[in-house]
Amino acid sequence: MENLNAPPFSAKAVRRAWIALGAGLVLLAIGTYQGLFVAPPEHYMGEVQRIMYVHVPTAWNAMLALTFAFFCALAFLWKNDWKWDARLEAAIEMGVLLSLLLCIQGAIWAKPTWGVWWDWDPRLTTTAVMLVAFVGILALRHFVEDPRRRAVWSSVATVVAYASVPIVYFSVQWWNSLHQLQSSPQTVDGAMVTPLRINSFGMLFLLFAFTSLRSQIARRRLAAELAPPPAPTATLATGGER
Amino acid sequence: MTGVVTGGWEFVWAAYGITFAVLTAYGIRLASHLRRSREHEDR
Repeated sequence: MENLNAPPFSAKAVRRAWIALGAGLVLLAIGTYQGLFVAPPEHYMGEVQRIMYVHVPTAWNAMLALTFAFFCALAFLWKNDWKWDARLEAAIEMGVLLSLLLCIQGAIWAKPTWGVWWDWDPRLTTTAVMLVAFVGILALRHFVEDPRRRAVWSSVATVVAYASVPIVYFSVQWWNSLHQLQSSPQTVDGAMVTPLRINSFGMLFLLFAFTSLRSQIARRRLAAELAPPPAPTATLATGGER
Repeated sequence: MTGVVTGGWEFVWAAYGITFAVLTAYGIRLASHLRRSREHEDR
């Protein structure tokens, strides 16, 4: 049942990724311009609230990347197909990168509004735990050389670590938190929704592009790792003739 | 103390600047890895 062949490299997927990257950059340029120069400042937070237009899309896409990683882990454990291992590696790396950016943006926003760069409040603490858990899985993948063990161990670890993602999302509802509740188009002024939506789609295209490219890199490495060892050469024979 | 944050553009620029600098660096790293692995495969 196990698919022992390394997943083939897909030039088509790379082309699609470059197109998505271009679309993502255009959308992010438009959304960022709108967020910085067109949308009105918020009544209490003033200009600082403009961080929302990059912070919230980063948060949504970080959670999306980690959710995709969760499904890749399940798919690998279920199907034993290496393409899911390559996708898992890419999705975790993107999830970690976006979660790290999320924490940095949050700290920058917290300083002028809360007066501190960091607070051990439920949302921030659960996000830090989530980030550390997935950094640990990346470290695990880095240190385990056997591809089979690496894939199984990191898939199981991803399924376990994914429990932290819904906890992060619902933390502001379950516990008293300094962090505000989730916003929706119904609770946000229309002028603020437009740049938020554009940047969210821009970040989504970027996530798709980077995950595809990273997955292709992982496929190539897997192909080299899973290739059968080279047949013995005639070195010994020629050595014997000497 | 009015409870209203005034100014703060430097925080906005910092958040956007760091985000796009990190994403650009990651994109360049991916492109160079992809090119290197392709060259390695062609050899």
